[in-house]
Order: sequence, then C-alpha cells, then structure tokens
Amino acid sequence: MLDIRDLTKSFGKGDSAVTALHEVNFSIAEGEFFTLLGPSGCGKTTLLRLIAGFEPPSGGALVLDGQDIAQMPPNKRPVNTVFQNYALFPHMTVAENVSFALGAQGRPKSEIAETVGRMLNLVQLGHLAHRKSGELSGGQQQRVALARALAPKPRILLLDEPLSALDMKLRKEMQVELKRLQQETGLTFIFVTHDQEEALTMSDRIAVMNGGRIQQIASPRDLYDQPANRFVAGFIGETNFLSARCEGGQLFLPQADAPLPLPHRDGPVTLMIRPEHVVMGATQQESLALTAKVERLTYFGTDTHVHLRLADGATLVARVQNALRGGASCRDGETIPVSLPADALRLLPQEVA
Amino acid sequence: MVDRAFDIRRLPGAATLAITCFVILYVPMIILVANSFNTGRVIGEWEGLSLRWYAAALQNEAFLNAAATSLILATMAAAVATVTATMAALATTRSRGFKGEGAIHLILNQPIMVPEIVLAIALLIILAQVKQITGYTGLGYLIIAHSAFCIPFAYMPIRARLEGMDLTLETAAADLYASRFYAFRKVTLPILAPGILAGFMLAFVISLDDVVISDFLKSPGQDTLPTYLLGELKRNLTSEIYAISSLLLLISVLIVAGSWLVTRKKI
Repeated sequence: MLDIRDLTKSFGKGDSAVTALHEVNFSIAEGEFFTLLGPSGCGKTTLLRLIAGFEPPSGGALVLDGQDIAQMPPNKRPVNTVFQNYALFPHMTVAENVSFALGAQGRPKSEIAETVGRMLNLVQLGHLAHRKSGELSGGQQQRVALARALAPKPRILLLDEPLSALDMKLRKEMQVELKRLQQETGLTFIFVTHDQEEALTMSDRIAVMNGGRIQQIASPRDLYDQPANRFVAGFIGETNFLSARCEGGQLFLPQADAPLPLPHRDGPVTLMIRPEHVVMGATQQESLALTAKVERLTYFGTDTHVHLRLADGATLVARVQNALRGGASCRDGETIPVSLPADALRLLPQEVA
Repeated sequence: MVDRAFDIRRLPGAATLAITCFVILYVPMIILVANSFNTGRVIGEWEGLSLRWYAAALQNEAFLNAAATSLILATMAAAVATVTATMAALATTRSRGFKGEGAIHLILNQPIMVPEIVLAIALLIILAQVKQITGYTGLGYLIIAHSAFCIPFAYMPIRARLEGMDLTLETAAADLYASRFYAFRKVTLPILAPGILAGFMLAFVISLDDVVISDFLKSPGQDTLPTYLLGELKRNLTSEIYAISSLLLLISVLIVAGSWLVTRKKI
C-alpha cells in the first residue's frame, strides 16, 4: 500500500549539507503496525515527516495506493499524525479538536457530530467533550490527539514517539490501548520510537534505523533471533559478542576447548549469543565449551546476571532464571565450565570498530 | 550562614530611591485628581467637594470636539497600526530568516528611537506642501502620522505572542487537511487574538497621549485632547483642566488595565 523508493533527505547546501536519510527502500502492507526504531538522530523522525509531508524529500518516491505523493502538501495527503507533544489546539475544546479535520474538509455538520461522538467513545473520553484541552492530564491529551488524528479516517496513522511524555505505568497502559485501537480499526500504523521494548511488544514489523539507513526490517521475533548485523543485535535486547574465525566448515573460538562444525564462509566473524542462551556448566548439546571465572552476580528478581571473564580477558554475561534449577548456583571468584549451544549461536559479519 | 544571591533590594538607599521615584510619579497625579473635585475656581484653594468642573467640561463644546477628534484619531491610527504590525510580526516570525530582516526590525522600531520632534518637523515640511497642493485639511494627515509611530507599540505584544506560540500547532493544522488560510483563521488568529488586542490598546493609548506630532501637523481650528489642553493651559487655568485631565487619565488607565488583563492569559 505504501512503497518507499530510494527516499533521500539532505539538510543544508554544499559542503555543509547533512544527509539525514540515505536511499531508504521498503513497503508497508495494509493494516500493518510498522515501527521505525532507532537511537535519536537515526533519521526515523525525518522519515516520518517526509511521509506526513512536513518536509519535501531530496530524492526518491513515496507511492501511496499507486500514486506518488512525495511532492503533495500535507493537507492533501490521506495521512494523519499524532505528535510527540500532542499539539492539541489550546483554544479549542476536546470536541472541537477532534472535529478540526472534518471541518477543514467541509463535511456536513451532522456527519461531524456523529464522527466526533464515535471517536470520543473509541478513546473513552465522551464525558470530557467540552473541556478545554489544557485542562486534561497527559494521558487524556494523548487520547484526544489519537481521536483527532483518527477522525478523518486516514489511510495511514503516523505516531511520533507518542508515549515518550507519559510515565511508565501510563505508557504500558497506552501501549495496550494503541494496539487494541489498531486492531479494532484495522488501520495502518507507522510508529516511531527509540524504545526497543515498546517496539517489540507492539509491532508487526520493525525497521531498525541507524545513521540515516535502514539496518534491518523484520518481525520482532526475527529481529531478536536473527539480527542482520552487530548494530541491530546490540540495539535490541542484551547480547554477548565474541571474535571468532570460520575455516573449512569449522568455527574456531580462541577461548573454546575445541572448534565446532559449522558451515560458513571462511574468514573472521563476530559470534553473537544472547545471555539467556549461555549455559552454566557442561551440556550434552552440540556446543562450544569454555572455562570462565565468575566475576560478579547481579540479582534482578526474576533472573540473575552472571558476569564471566574468559581466559583472554573477554567478558561474557549469562542470564539464569531464578525459578529454574534453583537459579545461579555459582559463587564469585569460582572458575566454572560454560557452554555456548550451537543452535543459539549467530554469526555476524565482522565490522571494523 | 549561607551566601545569599545578590539582591538589589538590600543595596543601601535602594528603598529610599524607589520610594522617592514613586512619590514624584504618583503624588502630583493624586493632587490633580483631587483638585478636579474642588468647588473653587482657583487652583490650590480647597473650597469643597463637587462635580462642578466635570459638568462644565461636559458642556464645553471645544472640549467635546477635541475629545471626539482624539477618539476617532486614536481608533483609526490604532487599527491601521495593528493590522500593519500583525502582518509584520507574521512575516518576521513565520518565514525563514530572509535578507534584510534586521533592517526591517530597525525600520519598524524607528519611531521608538528617533526623537519625536525630529519626526514632527520632517512630517510638517512634507505635509505642509501636500496641504497646499491638495487643499485637504482634514484628519487624514494626523491618522497617517499616528499610524506610523504607533506601529512599533502594536508590534511588540503581537510578536511576543507569536514567538510564544508552538509552531507544531500550525503543522498539525496542515496535517489535518487545513489550507493555509483555514489554519490561519482557525488556529493562528485565535491564539494571536489577545496579542492583537493588547497591541491595539497600546497603540490607542500612545496615539491618545501624543502632543508633539499632533500639535505640529494639525490644521487650523483642529484640536486633539492633548493639544486642546495645552492651549487651555496657556489661556485660562481653571479646575476644568483638572477634570479633563482626570478623564483622560481614567481612559488610559482603563485601557492599559484591559490590555494587561487580555495578555495575562497564557497560550
């Protein structure tokens, strides 16, 4: 439904020009909850502003339902935005805010009244219709902003870090609420966030961005299990990285007792393993066996992080669930065998730091 | 003992100086207003309380004419200045920085900096010629001149309001299918309204109070309130002048208070 082709955006001119987006390409399907995830300055908000039409692209195409909208002004695009600061009109009531787009489109009064009522019910704010927007709490303003953007039935709803101003508890509630709204309306959402947990729990697919480039687009599970590169692996969840080599169908980890048969192109690789996959002790599974010294235990309630140091000084973190097998049974300073199961290992291209 | 931040109120003599300033500012005004209620004809000799001079003023045709002229002039000048100032403020805050923006600021605020007498003489020289050529001797000259020097006073509160306004609101309006005009009418203008009203009131008071330019440019027989008062002072000093001055003071205070009330509201 939305095809983004070679979309590029540079700010400034000549030598001082800064490229915020480098030839971004992807497609979004109807009804998808699509998230743009990345650290600040990665270009995710710029990309959202290009889709909304607040900035013209420097190159490339934005094709919505077969039509290139890249040069179309924002008030002509069937796309609405929920702003980070909500941007509610302070001189209007909640109902007036929600009816704004319909009024601008010149819809008949009866239709406006009906839609506003329905939207306020959808976000459970019917009882506050005649309040001024400045008299509402943060969570309520958030809901008004949502209702306002949903009222004109956009093809795509853009959400620019809409939950970042809310406190933790409210944010969790709104995450559930947003997901419910998206499923109920069947609308396509493009959601911008820097919060990886928020992205993982809500999205159908996530585009991880860094330095103005898309690093990987995948479902939350695939991003976590099969990261395309070191940046994605490090940005989503916690990870251990170790330097290794592949040669003749075997993986050589310098700290391991023996190589592991693993078909891969010869050369240096970055070996990645999530802390929850590191096994304390020996195992029957096919794995890399190491010896490590326990440096420190950090207790987190549901699990314990065991910080390990390998013979050559490299560090490794293992996460042990406390409910499982009595939790971490090792002690500080102890030297123990550790296993890295073959099916949990991921090999990433080695990058120059 | 904790070191306190520098506080000007604790400077020796600061309180005395401040009180002296306030006394000099307000005591004469209080005396003026008090005298306007004096029954006696002679200034400085209290003979009893009455509204006699107010009644006299309200029956004085010359005063009423001057008052009408002043109110019409101030309304027209404030209206022209406010519209111009609103457009100028929109241009200087809503467009990306443009060449000559600094110069435009200087030009807009010039009447605050240039001595009024210089402006008055300059206008007199030109307008005297125009009067001779066109034969028109009406209020138009004063309206043009007052509009010009009222612009910076109208401009300041409007620009302050615009600068305090969240630009995302206009972006949001555009996102919600509003044309530029619709967004201006429904979002920018209502939010700006208190600033515009304050600008209008300020310009109105400034125009109402002007002596120098009005006195230089007025045609024979024409009088604004201040020029009328000035003329009366030279001729016959009665308590009626106090009554008229008190009325002028009342109007100014009401307008300034009104302007404060409308701008007090946060965006």
